[in-house]
Amino acid sequence: MTVTEAPQGTHRLTTSKAMVEAIDQEMAGDPSVFYLGEDVGQYGGIFSSTTGLLDKYGPERIIDTPISETAFIGLGIGAAVEGMRPIVELMFCDFMGVCLDQIYNHMAKIHFESGGNVTVPMVLTMAAGGGYSDAAQHSQCLWGTFAHLPGMKVVVPSSPADAKGLMTSAIRDDNPVVYIFHKGVMGLPWMAKNPRTLDEVPEGEHLVPLGKARIARPGSDVTVVTLSLSVHHALDVADKLAGEGVDVEVVDLRSLVPLDRETVLESVAKTGRLVVVDEDYLSYGVSGEIVASVAEVDPGMLRVPARRVAVPDVPIPYAHDLEYAVLPRQDRIEKTIRAAL
Amino acid sequence: MTEVLFPPLSKDSPEAEGVLATWFVADGARITADQLLAEVQVDKVSAEVPAPVGGVVHLLVKEEEAVRQGTPIARID
Repeated sequence: MTVTEAPQGTHRLTTSKAMVEAIDQEMAGDPSVFYLGEDVGQYGGIFSSTTGLLDKYGPERIIDTPISETAFIGLGIGAAVEGMRPIVELMFCDFMGVCLDQIYNHMAKIHFESGGNVTVPMVLTMAAGGGYSDAAQHSQCLWGTFAHLPGMKVVVPSSPADAKGLMTSAIRDDNPVVYIFHKGVMGLPWMAKNPRTLDEVPEGEHLVPLGKARIARPGSDVTVVTLSLSVHHALDVADKLAGEGVDVEVVDLRSLVPLDRETVLESVAKTGRLVVVDEDYLSYGVSGEIVASVAEVDPGMLRVPARRVAVPDVPIPYAHDLEYAVLPRQDRIEKTIRAAL
Repeated sequence: MTEVLFPPLSKDSPEAEGVLATWFVADGARITADQLLAEVQVDKVSAEVPAPVGGVVHLLVKEEEAVRQGTPIARID
């Protein structure tokens, strides 16, 4: 369910522009909101996450930082503890390795360790995903790793409207929220064209609750549980299979923490078939968690064994054909759905 | 009638060709002044094209089409 205020107009935006619109509206209404990170000022974010905001809010609130992720994430945590609402951009999720202590030992634990007395109302944004030959250190998703570590919410929008609604909710949430945007859903002019990255977005205040999945396409034959760019690929396959009389339900998780297990269970109870599509690594991750969510409640719901389409446990290749071979793209999703029927 | 031109993104080479990356409006749509019409790109530089006036917009080039700088990309009646 999408929560909005009174009926309002919509306009067509790319996902990146929808994300910027949410940040802009929250910054206009709340002086404690500010944005910092590498190349977020004059450059506007290397994946257009902050385009135009420097001109509007100036360098006091749109802050370009040096290349020291530990230092500027720590700065954000300090500001959040003191009552600000910082949005901090870690340029690529792949860079978590150089600053993870700030993220999982400090940002995520201060609320617990203070006995609930201190909150950390911070948003940590980062780009994820492959498909454009950026190789092993700039193409990962890693959302399963953040979701595995307790103390932070994790959201992963797939559409322009959700990008806006989840950002607004993330900024207003009193918990640390990791907001992961796949480069392939942003609608960037220099990336592969993807028609699902441009869509109608509510113009005014728009909130999407954290922890509520969305039925991206209702269907009755098989449930595909997925997130982010893989939602687009799954919808492509669903459109194709519909021509053959196969009715695919696509569940867009939108949020990994909290995880909307109810919506997954309701869908699988209806279809009896489960395929999980995840661009993160296969083992010890989101896809296993979804299958476990069903198996723990009632494995009898599954009329056939659950199946997973994910990145096999290898670093993402640079070579285009090899990269496409490991990514969960339309070909692998279609083959797996057919096998599950 | 107002013509909307492909903006001069490359100052060094005024004859440079760019690409109409994204149309944010549909052909024949009623638009308001300053509304975002398109995103265009020359090499790796992209820019937004807002509507100079309100009216009914007619798109003169397709997405992904190569366009020389200064060429009309839309007409607003």
